[in-house]
Parts: sequence; C-alpha cells; structure tokens
Amino acid sequence: MDRRVAITGIGIVSPLGSGREAFGKALLAGASGIASVAAFPVESLPCRLAAEIRDFQARDFVSVKNLRRMDRLSAVATAAARMALDDAGLAVTPANRDRTGLILGTAWGGTDVTVSFARVLVTEGPGSANPILVPNVVMNAPAGHASIELGFRGINTTVNHYAVSAESALAYGAQEIRRGAADVLLAGGADVLAPFYFESLTRFKALSPLQGGGPEGARPFDLRRNGPVAGEGCGILCLEPLEAARERGATVYAEIAGEGMASSPAPMTGWPEDPRGLVLAVRRALRSAGCGPEDVDAVFAAASGGLKPDLLEAEGLAQVFGPAGKRPLVTALKGALGESFTSGGMRAAALALALRDGAVPPTLSLEEPVRPLHFVTGQAARAKVQRGLLNGISHGGTYVSLLFSNIGEES
Amino acid sequence: MERVVVTGLGTLNAIARSAPEFAGALRGGRCGIGPFSVFDPSAFRTQIAAEVKDFNPRDHIPRQYPIKRMSRADLLGFAATLEAMKDAGLDPLPPELAEETGVVIGGGGGGLLEGERFYGDYLRTGGRLARFSALSAVYCASSADRIATLLRLWGPKTSFMTACSSGATAIGYARDLIRGGKAPVVIAGGTEPLCRITYAAFNALQAVDPEPCKPFAGNRAGLSLGEAAGILILESLSHARGRGARIYAEVLGYGVTCDSHHMTAPDPEASGAVRSMRESLRDAGVSLERVDYVNAHGTATPANDAMESRAIRHVFGDRAERIPVSSTKSMTGHTLGASGALEAVASVLAICHRFIPPTIHCTVPDPQCDLDYVTEGAREADLSVVLSNSFAFGGNNTSLVIGRFEGGNG
Repeated sequence: MDRRVAITGIGIVSPLGSGREAFGKALLAGASGIASVAAFPVESLPCRLAAEIRDFQARDFVSVKNLRRMDRLSAVATAAARMALDDAGLAVTPANRDRTGLILGTAWGGTDVTVSFARVLVTEGPGSANPILVPNVVMNAPAGHASIELGFRGINTTVNHYAVSAESALAYGAQEIRRGAADVLLAGGADVLAPFYFESLTRFKALSPLQGGGPEGARPFDLRRNGPVAGEGCGILCLEPLEAARERGATVYAEIAGEGMASSPAPMTGWPEDPRGLVLAVRRALRSAGCGPEDVDAVFAAASGGLKPDLLEAEGLAQVFGPAGKRPLVTALKGALGESFTSGGMRAAALALALRDGAVPPTLSLEEPVRPLHFVTGQAARAKVQRGLLNGISHGGTYVSLLFSNIGEES
Repeated sequence: MERVVVTGLGTLNAIARSAPEFAGALRGGRCGIGPFSVFDPSAFRTQIAAEVKDFNPRDHIPRQYPIKRMSRADLLGFAATLEAMKDAGLDPLPPELAEETGVVIGGGGGGLLEGERFYGDYLRTGGRLARFSALSAVYCASSADRIATLLRLWGPKTSFMTACSSGATAIGYARDLIRGGKAPVVIAGGTEPLCRITYAAFNALQAVDPEPCKPFAGNRAGLSLGEAAGILILESLSHARGRGARIYAEVLGYGVTCDSHHMTAPDPEASGAVRSMRESLRDAGVSLERVDYVNAHGTATPANDAMESRAIRHVFGDRAERIPVSSTKSMTGHTLGASGALEAVASVLAICHRFIPPTIHCTVPDPQCDLDYVTEGAREADLSVVLSNSFAFGGNNTSLVIGRFEGGNG
C-alpha cells in the first residue's frame, strides 16, 4: 500500500533571503534577487548580473566544529536542511535517525574547490596537491556534511543531472517515502556561484545578454529575452508520509501527488527542437497523480530567459493545457531567483507556499509573452491553488514535472 | 508489485572488453592493475592503475552514432550500453519501447580527464586560448544524456554522483522506477574514467598502494584506481516475459544509508555498512541464510576492509565465516563511480556462470579480516543470492541484493 507524501518543512537560503517567510513574502511582493555581482570581480566579463545569496550566516545554522570543514556549498545546503527539519518541527533522535535522510540535487557541486585543487595540481604538480580539499571535491560532499551535522543516518544520496537535479531529487524523495523506504526525507537542490564557474557560463554564451541584443537581464517567457541571469541558492523540503504528519499534528504545506520524468534527444549543451519531452513529463506527472490538465490551477515554470528553453516550455504548456484559458496560471520565478540550475528546490518551496497561501508570485520583467499563456505578471495573483505543477527542464534534454496538491479541505 | 530482472549486460574494464570475457577473466583471477597510459603518472608517488587498454571507441560504437566531444567516460558508458542492449535483444530498440525506456547512470570523474587538459590550457593562456567547449561533457550527467540522445530514448533519465556508491545507487533507483511503473526498461549502471585529478586526490590522501591492491590482506596498503563501465538492462518481469527475453538474474532489493560520521574515513563501528546490508535484505525480503556470496566493497584500504569484515560478521553472526566474501577490485581496480555497477555485472555473471570470483593478491592474513575471502582462486558454486556492497566518501553506503531468477510470477 503506497503512502501519500506530505511536505511538512521548508528550508531556504536564497537571493531573496533565508527562511520560508522572508523568501515567500519577497516573491509575492515582486522583489528581485538580481543585482550586480558582489562576491567576485566581473569587470572583464560580458555579464555582470547575478542573483546572489543574501542575508545568510552559516554559523546561525551550522556548528562551528563542522562548519570549518565545509565549503560554501556544503554550508548552504546543511543550513537549509536544518531549516527544513526545524520548520517541520522534527528533531533527529536515536529513534528516528536511521529512517531519516537527505536526497540532494546539485548541478555543479563545489566548483571552487575542484578548481583550487586542479590549479595546484596543474601548476605545481601532484606532490603539492592538497589533501584537505579532497573531501569537498566530490559532488556528494554537501549531503555528507549535512548528515554529520544533523545526525541522520538513513538514505543519503546526491543527484547530479544539470538543471533538473533538484526536481529529480524531489521525485526520488517522494518515491522513497511512498514505498516506505524512509520516514523523513529532506530533498531539494543547492548550487552556488564561483568565479571560474561564472566565467564558464559566459564563455558558453549561457547568460544574458550573450544570446542576443538588448540589455542584460532575466526576462522569462518574454519576446525580448536574451539569456538567463546566473543565480545561486538552496531550497530543501521535508517530506513525510501524510498519515504520520497528521498523526503528529504537523503543518502540511502540500502533498506531492505525482511525478513525471522524461528525456529527449538533444545536443550536448543544447536544446531539442520541439517540446515533446516536456509534454511527456507533464502528462506523466498528471497521470501519476490521477488527474487531468483541467485540474491544474498553477504552473511554476522552468523558464529562465533562455531563447530556446522558454519557447519549448511555452509551446509544451500550450500543447498540454490548450490555448490560453482561465487556467492554469503560469509563473516563472527565475526572473527573481536567476538560473541557479537547482532553483527547483526553491521553486518547489514557493509552490508549496502558494498552495498554502492562495497566492501566486509574479513573473518579473515579462511584458511581451512569447505565447499567450495565462501569465502572472506585475503583481501576485490571489487564487485558490488546489493543484500546482512544478517544471524542471535541462539542456541535454531532461525533464521533470512534479504535481503538488492541496490537502487542506480533506482533513 | 512488479519484479525487476536483468536481461542484458555490458562492460569494458581493465580485465575484459565484454561481459562474456569478464566472466572468464573473473574466473581466471586476471589482474588488470599495472602500468597505464591515459596520462603520465611519473610525478606521482604511485605509477599503476587498472586501465582499459588501447580503447578505441570505434571498435565498439558503429559510425551511425556521432561521438564528437564525448568524454572517455561517455564513450566507455555508451560502448557498454550498446553491448548490453544487443545482449538484451533490444538493438535496434523498437520506437514504441524507446518512448518509455529510461537511463540511470552513476558517475564519478565524468569528463574530468578532458576537463583537466582544458584547465591546463586555461591557466597557461590566462583563459584566452582555452576552448570552453572542452568542458561540454565535464559533468557525469553527460553520459546518461549521450545514451538517451544516441538511442533516441524518451523515458526517465537521471544521474547520481555519490562517489564510490554511485553505480550501485543507480541500479537500485532504476529498480524503483520500474517497480513504480515509471518505465518498463531502464539502462542502469555506471562509468568512470581514469584521470589525473582523481589519481592526485587519492594519492594526496595516501590511499593508493604503489603495488596492485591486496584487499583483506595483512599487508594491504591502499587501493588501486581503475576505470570501467558496467551497464545492466533492467526490465519488469512482465515486459521481459512478454517479449520472450532471456533473464539473467533478478534485482531483489537495495539499501542506502549514511554513516553520519566522517567525510573520508569509514565509521569504525561499521553502523552504516551494517544498516545498508540489512536494509537491502529487508527490502529484498531475503533471509540471511539465503545469501551465498558477498561481493565486497573491499577497496584494500586498511580502514575499509577491517570495517567491512566487522560489518559482515555483525550482520551474519556465526554464519559469516561460512559465507564466501571476495573483492573483485583486486582484479579490476577501484572504478569509483562505476564500481557498484561493475560489481553488479560481476555478481550477475557469478550467478549465471556458477562461480565465485576470487580475491587475488591476498596472501598475508590479517587478524582483523577473518572471513573466507576466496583467496585460492575462483570457486565453483551455485549461487542463489548475492549481496554486493558499495561504500563511499561522505559516508554513503549502498548494498544491492541480486538473485538467481527463480521463475514464477511472485
């Protein structure tokens, strides 16, 4: 008998602040996390904007003893994991620690650590390679650090699939709760900016304005879009069986009612020519939740301002939901959060809050839509959201859609 | 609940270019660890590794598949995938099945071998002359993307990177996808290239034996790094039956735990390893008595082998001494992200070919490693259930339970 999956906690470290309330309020107010890059010099680069993490002190959430072994990514992920547990009102104890775990998505891992290690190796040779850096070179370092800091001993794994890493981690987490392999799972995604990584994005022409003319900026779904703005941050959800959450009187933000995953042929760092993969993922998510397109009230889109992916997604949504009707509302939060590649964790948190609060944050900088969908622009839309869809799309042709459902009226 | 079976195998590793050859090499106790040429190791404190020698991608990958910019990891993984698909009778793959076929790959270094060449150019020229396109395949997700793209697949796709347990986790997760009705067929496994960064990292930790590794031996002095791809075609039993596929074995269960102890050292109390073995057996619904062979993580580091032996003793009690335990890493080297998948291939071959692979180079006993490590050479045996362990940096543990396919519909 499959168990239902409840979201009972939210942990956020983001360009719009830390913690779910600051984050949620800023999104609804239409605040943008995008500004000039402050953490490292970008004068020599053609892109100078980013959505950098704000209002975050790792030591507020992580013990000094463990913090000094962590790279920045690990500190960010561990802090968000602790926030999600605290928000759920859960403590890790000897009684529950073996059934508590973390599934973390990271697109790039600790790029700054790998670069530091490689620099010494290349310039000074193997004899000078620094063993202290080694543990943080591996992608699973953040989840490992989080387990040591928080004390859970159950499932611990790291999903590493580009821009759908976070959505894939959430899908995996939901599946494991459903089949009873764990009782509490933290799941989400984390990535952070670093100089070489940022430069690489510009050299791949992955950022605004390198995909065309016009000023630099993130304009998801807009005709004038010319690439995403780089971002960073971490969003982690606490997942539990719905029944257990109810028994202990936990606040349930939403249920993860279905997941859909798909692939499509695509160039190595590019995009497919048509939206078929996305359409498959969305339809699979709807099918696994036992509902149809008419049941979806809101879509939290993956659109980032990229030329091809935004068009693919808009066309895919039009194919699934039909021409612009009353529903669903569509919003693209990468206009505020930037493209961190694992913003799926933060956007999942935003969707869970939208279901709880009955309000959908706006897509920033969207003036001339690429397709006539029912976009939320200007200001937040007050609307009962019974079911909402979260999309993840990655270059290379990978798609994950998650269907969140409001359980408020059931209990 | 759908049972999940293995219907195809593919591998390239230091001792074999195909799954059938791998069976023979494992049975023969062939050592693949020695001098290698992927990069020049002369400046390192050790100079050996387990390399896929003279790997020419076009010997394995027909010209219909463009392979430009694919990393060595991608190429090894795709070559093994083609072998496994052919073996499963899925080459060519019918379009209606391609629509639903998934890919789950565990990775490690990914395209770091190519990435480090790029990075050398980047540093030498201050970034000006480096070709960033060399980084296109630098992340391990590239391998799954290439498989899905070249075979034109539309099913679920994902990649895991949990260092040395990636490949095992990928197989477990693929099992779940099939059980959960998300895909009837999943290409699951792992791929890992030799590269300087990884070699430097393990050498910096002084975890590499200058001689071929000696798992469970008293004189063991660290691991030997290797490269490989190991791919399994997993399929729901009903789908495999429906198309009359040959069934090699059944994926019975898996368990994933973490130590919550230390980033690079295993927990001396072995709690995480004990729990991953127990969880995998619980998940499989298999009692301890039915386990005939443990394919150990067996890296040959002093800490791992003592810890793992203790964990096996803890899980199996008095019976531990009567269960053969071996480390195929003594032959293939430690292939990191691929190792869990490579050892799953080895486990399936052991079941099908009715033998237990040996632990080679284990001649000096260690009082801390007091189990039956199959040191005298391969042993003929009818195996019904194999437990395969993979433990990783970060304290990530995955155990897989693979069984002989017993028929029935269960």
